[in-house]
Amino acid sequence: MFKLPSFTRGSQPFWSFSILLSIPLVLLIILPLGRMITTPEIGDLIFTIKEKTVQEALGRSIFTALMATLVSILFGTPLAYILARKSFKGKNIIEGLVDLPIMIPHPVIGIAILSLFGRNTLPGKLMAMFNVEIMGSISGIVMVLTFVGAPFYVNTVKSGFENIPLRLENASRSLGAGMGATFFRVTFPMVWRHMILGSVMCTARAISEFGAVVIVAYHPMTAPVLIYERFTAYGLKYSQCVAFWLILISLLLFITLRLLSRERQDR
Amino acid sequence: MITLSDVCLNLPGFSLKHIDLSIPTNDFFAVLGPTGSGKSLLLEAIMGLMPITSGTIFIDDKDIKDMPPEKRNMGIVYQDFALFPHMTVKQNILYGVRYHNISPGTVSQRFDTLVEQMNLSHLLTRHPGTLSGGEKQRTALARALILNPGILLLDEPLSALDPMLQDDLKHLLKSLHREFSTTFVMVSHNFSDVLFLASNGAIIKDGAIEQTGTIKELFEQPNSPFTAQFTGMKNIYTLPAASPALASLIRHNGHRPRAEHGHLALRPEEILNENNGKKESCCAMEGVVTRLISRGFFYDVVIQMDAVELTAQWTRHDVLVKQIQPGRRIPFFVPFSSIHTF
Repeated sequence: MFKLPSFTRGSQPFWSFSILLSIPLVLLIILPLGRMITTPEIGDLIFTIKEKTVQEALGRSIFTALMATLVSILFGTPLAYILARKSFKGKNIIEGLVDLPIMIPHPVIGIAILSLFGRNTLPGKLMAMFNVEIMGSISGIVMVLTFVGAPFYVNTVKSGFENIPLRLENASRSLGAGMGATFFRVTFPMVWRHMILGSVMCTARAISEFGAVVIVAYHPMTAPVLIYERFTAYGLKYSQCVAFWLILISLLLFITLRLLSRERQDR
Repeated sequence: MITLSDVCLNLPGFSLKHIDLSIPTNDFFAVLGPTGSGKSLLLEAIMGLMPITSGTIFIDDKDIKDMPPEKRNMGIVYQDFALFPHMTVKQNILYGVRYHNISPGTVSQRFDTLVEQMNLSHLLTRHPGTLSGGEKQRTALARALILNPGILLLDEPLSALDPMLQDDLKHLLKSLHREFSTTFVMVSHNFSDVLFLASNGAIIKDGAIEQTGTIKELFEQPNSPFTAQFTGMKNIYTLPAASPALASLIRHNGHRPRAEHGHLALRPEEILNENNGKKESCCAMEGVVTRLISRGFFYDVVIQMDAVELTAQWTRHDVLVKQIQPGRRIPFFVPFSSIHTF
């Protein structure tokens, strides 16, 4: 399954030391997750996945994460393009703001969103006029997931745009194509892989979000909130079965991400 | 005719300053300058890819300053070719056709002619990543020329190629210019390429035009030490000459510098080691060889003469046969026609 890297003459002590230092970190990830995955019995796992509440929570997590990704693609792609191609005053501030959700504690994100779009605020009331509610709703979950996931999408796609030489776009325009045509015929075919990578990262981040979601919408329940609820109400064993299925979904997403990355490097 | 009047372009840390240029229709015009002088930026300003801060750009009587690049009827070929990596050679060549009102018959005829002329027929299904530098450059040229642009801008088209390919491409560019009757504007830092290809040119330094004129004028009548140096002169002296020998050169030739504190310049390759029987048209001089610098088939021979040093470029054969060595006093000859004052 694993193959140790080959060493050039004289480099073995350096690499051996590096491997030695890497092992604790890998174990820190593998052992708890491995324990979590291997502890539940097959029967319990099957019983859990057959539960309507679990299916709904997992489905809701997947659906809201995908919606958040769609929103990120729609609004994040132009933002990433502007940040990659243009220099302007305040660009560093915008870049900092994009990164902010990665840094701040996620319950704070939930509180911030509620304080702006809560039922008693003006934006909240305006949205209510259009039957859009943030507190305790799918829309609210999508909004916080976009908040936490979009930075991953924007930063990945921005680096994709930056990798495309501006001269290719200039050459396209010199051949008669306008900005739009240039984007769809030259830029997009070269950046779509980054868009997919960014989408997978955004979805993966969103699917696992708990802190912000639990503030904005305890109900309808997403998978991480259900895991938390089962842990507090019934204990470790009951939460582990739901966690197993969430980990499986996250794992599938990240395997996809790695496969896509590898294909990109080969080109 | 492309006319740039008082064109300025300000970028953080660099600017094009008050550029005035007239490029005749169907001319092969060269913009010459060292790296970082702003020549590629000037090309992008003409193309409309960099918006100018002030000034005007006219093509014939039409002000194109506010026209987007895709409407300017110009093509650009970059030093790094800028081929679309996700398209085949054929798709690259035909990329711009849909944006121009060209009949399918004309496209087909132009495509066949260019593919034949550029020797690309066996490469049409290949992607740019698998092509050599010369093949990429020919594809980029075909992609621009199939649209029959009024002006073709060439950004250092030779510098990314190895010397043998450079020679082929120079001849190709020359024949394409003759055949397509299009204005070619080429940016280069190599005066010998320009000497072969262009008929008119401009020398640019630090974002400002230093001199314009025919290539012959730039070569023979540089108006500043920078232009002189850039066009291959190595022996540049400030006048009035401190050395009696240099003063005698001016006296023999009858030239006078334009300003009191002008310059005198001699091209190393124009200094002779024998007078070839043209005694009356040469100034005979002598000096002591101080250094020999090998340049492969040539030597730079550094000669001390009065208080000044002078460099001559002679063949390896001449240096060996005439036993030219450091420390030897040798005669040499400067043809009157090779004395440049400015």
